[in-house]
Amino acid sequence: MTQPVLSVQDVTVQFGGVRVLDGIDLDVRAGEIRGLIGPNGAGKTTLLNVISGIHAPQTGKIFLDGEPIGGSNPSEIARRGIGRTFQTSKLFRGMTVLENMMTGLHRKTTAGIFGSGLRLRRTINEEREIEAQVRRSLEFVGMSHFADRRGTELSFGQQRVIEIARTLISEPKVVLLDEPAVGLSLNRLAEFDLLLRRIRDDKGVTLILIEHVIRLVMDVSDKVTVLSSGKVIADGEPDQVRNDGQVIEAYLGKELRARYSTP
Amino acid sequence: MSIFSRRNVLAAFLTLGILVPAFANAYHLFIANLIVIYVLLAIGLNILVGYAGQLAFANAAMFGIGAYGTALLQVHLSWPFYFAFPAGALVAMAVGLVISLPALRLSGLYLALSTLAFAQCTQWVFLHWDSVTFGAGGFKSPPISFEPLPLNKPVGLYYLSLLVAVAFTLFAQNLVASRIGRAFVAVRDSDIAAQSLGIDLLRYKALAFGISGFAAGLAGGLYSQVLNFVSPEGFDLFQMVIQKSMIVVGGLGSIAGSVIGAGAIIVILELLREVKGAQEIVFGGLLIFFVTFLRGGIIGTLQSYVPGWDEPLHGARVVSGANTASEIGALDEKQSTT
Amino acid sequence: MLLFSYLLLSGIATGALYALVALGLVVVNKATGVINFAQGEFLMFCGFVAWMIHVQFGLAYPFAFIAAIAAGFVLGAITDRVAFRSLAKTDIVGLVLATVGLAFVIRGTARVIWGGKADYLSFPPITSPEPLMIGTIMVVPQQMIALAGAVLILLIFAAFFQFTRIGKVMRATADNPRAATLVGISIENVYTLAFGTGAAIAGAAGVLAAPLTLLYPDMGFAFFIKGFAAAVLGGLTSLSGAIVGGLLVGVVEAMAGGYIDSSMMELSPFIMIMIVLIICPTGLLSLYKERHV
Repeated sequence: MTQPVLSVQDVTVQFGGVRVLDGIDLDVRAGEIRGLIGPNGAGKTTLLNVISGIHAPQTGKIFLDGEPIGGSNPSEIARRGIGRTFQTSKLFRGMTVLENMMTGLHRKTTAGIFGSGLRLRRTINEEREIEAQVRRSLEFVGMSHFADRRGTELSFGQQRVIEIARTLISEPKVVLLDEPAVGLSLNRLAEFDLLLRRIRDDKGVTLILIEHVIRLVMDVSDKVTVLSSGKVIADGEPDQVRNDGQVIEAYLGKELRARYSTP
Repeated sequence: MSIFSRRNVLAAFLTLGILVPAFANAYHLFIANLIVIYVLLAIGLNILVGYAGQLAFANAAMFGIGAYGTALLQVHLSWPFYFAFPAGALVAMAVGLVISLPALRLSGLYLALSTLAFAQCTQWVFLHWDSVTFGAGGFKSPPISFEPLPLNKPVGLYYLSLLVAVAFTLFAQNLVASRIGRAFVAVRDSDIAAQSLGIDLLRYKALAFGISGFAAGLAGGLYSQVLNFVSPEGFDLFQMVIQKSMIVVGGLGSIAGSVIGAGAIIVILELLREVKGAQEIVFGGLLIFFVTFLRGGIIGTLQSYVPGWDEPLHGARVVSGANTASEIGALDEKQSTT
Repeated sequence: MLLFSYLLLSGIATGALYALVALGLVVVNKATGVINFAQGEFLMFCGFVAWMIHVQFGLAYPFAFIAAIAAGFVLGAITDRVAFRSLAKTDIVGLVLATVGLAFVIRGTARVIWGGKADYLSFPPITSPEPLMIGTIMVVPQQMIALAGAVLILLIFAAFFQFTRIGKVMRATADNPRAATLVGISIENVYTLAFGTGAAIAGAAGVLAAPLTLLYPDMGFAFFIKGFAAAVLGGLTSLSGAIVGGLLVGVVEAMAGGYIDSSMMELSPFIMIMIVLIICPTGLLSLYKERHV
């Protein structure tokens, strides 16, 4: 079996006296869509933060395609090929949608201070190329007509799409999505589901997504990992996990576990 | 393209600038030279504060280091001006970078405080390192000449300043429209998202500090010659406030705004020259007024009423206080706990 | 020993004044999230008001003291109502620049009212300026009065925050503004109160400082930056931290001035700031707290 594209091994994260993540193991194969669910406070966002470098793990290791990345700084990890979106909109407000997307290609471009300041031929060509690439990408997500608008002029759902597009445009190996469906109405959910699958199928990107919209997660994921109080309590195919007694207990409590789980 | 577009207006200023020595008296030439020097300063500062969002108060100090550096290299080491001048700017840039590197891990208030402290330390050095800097009294900067060009010193200096300022303005305009400019704005608007796209915060903050330091150093070297005199007085906190007023009045995050702001503020300064107290009240008031009511500065207003003033990555149209879904979300973020 | 005790007491006295400035900064910061860069100017302005009352109008020192504190409160309240209402949702760059602008407006106003750049007003000493000898320790009565005054103010404000209803309201708002609104507290009034209180504390420091130093319009900044340093040392949101920080800054400044060189007095606080910010930006007290969790 090929090695997983992302491997988290025995990672622990502690803030003050609280163990937010306690010995987490996680292996994700290339091209997989992995759902990450669990009750509030389970440590899901912290896990994404540790993978993307915002926190360093106290113990344990993280590997991307076999290379260790645990403890590196976030921009370094991003350059190695991990992209992510956040719970709240982080489009750059001073930029148009087009400029936001071009920033997404930062790690694939090389123009330096002198090339930029002096407008050397090489820099001009690079700018033209990435602008063309961005316009193609905007077409892919159906947002070409927004290219010169500010992010704040878009609706919440549209901003979400642009943020995901911005993360994807540099073709990272793994993309971490933190509650991407927040605020989407029910009909939009189906579209979103399709979008995620299209992204995976067309680009071969591995996705890890945190979601509270259980239906979306179960439908779109290949595998689901469940976190509770900093530990992994279930890890498998959506149907398995859905009926797992521990998972039900984590969400609904002991009493309802008996009623809803299949033994 | 409309008649009053940014490009046309700036070109008109430039033409005017080139023609100034033809019809100006010594005093007007002096003022014009000051304006050009402050344009240089303001653009550098705007790149740091307006584009990269770094709330730094060290610019006046680096202005001073450039002035002292250039003049002292001439006085103590007998370097000719055309060596001392770029060297002074490089010294200013280097000192600014070294001292600010630890500060780069800080943001917001802590950065403001540490750069304020740095500025005060620099003032102290100017005042107390008598043997080198000649202390509180200051010293006369060595005379320079522009032989073999047929220019007397004030005119020659003016054209040199104009040349440097125009070159830097063009450089800055190109820079902000590029990948580097986008990186600056990304760092300003959301450093977490910027990092997630592979932008190294330290590197770009240092770059912004370095660029503004270099511009300030160049401005300082020119300033040392315009006044014929170098003393600690011109590089204090009030100086810093003047520079901040220029970019706020002109427009944070706008190159054209820096040009306009610098000109406007110098004119106001001269009109109020008699009463220092009045100067302070007016500048303070301008800062408060523009920050509160006209966040976009003059440029912001121009953008609303006159076509052709858009700039790439211009910060002015970012409306603060608008209640967009993302802003409300941002307020919530501070309390999310997953 | 004589030199050491003199420097120590001197440092504690000025440190107490820095502590007041820091306290005012922290009070405003806790309630509103704003660092008021005009705090030093509040101090200066109230010092001048005290001079006006005591020297120009000839009233006794306690009147001047109370007048200055009242003036401070009013100044702070006006600042909040006029300037900060519209700035409530601005980012930090805007807030800092606005308070810096305010600082210069106040500075210029004081200069216009009371004198130009070269005019230094002197405030008559409260006690005789002769130092006393208590055993082997040299004590400067003027400084001790400033210290006593500062301690008095600190105690009054501590009691105010701890025991009065208004104090509790302010603490509640600082802790959790949303919950406070839900409970019916008018946050806007709390902000005004916080600004007023912060300014009043600075005003008290100004009156206490007046007999010790000459009054001049540019004096505010030095107090501000040392007070800011003290507040940062204490962690920016800790009232007790501000006080400890202030004393520390004052003592270090006095020691540096006495043992190294008098010109070091100006420099030492800035070096302290830079060192502290590099090593532990969250304040010295947080280092202490971490170890004891």
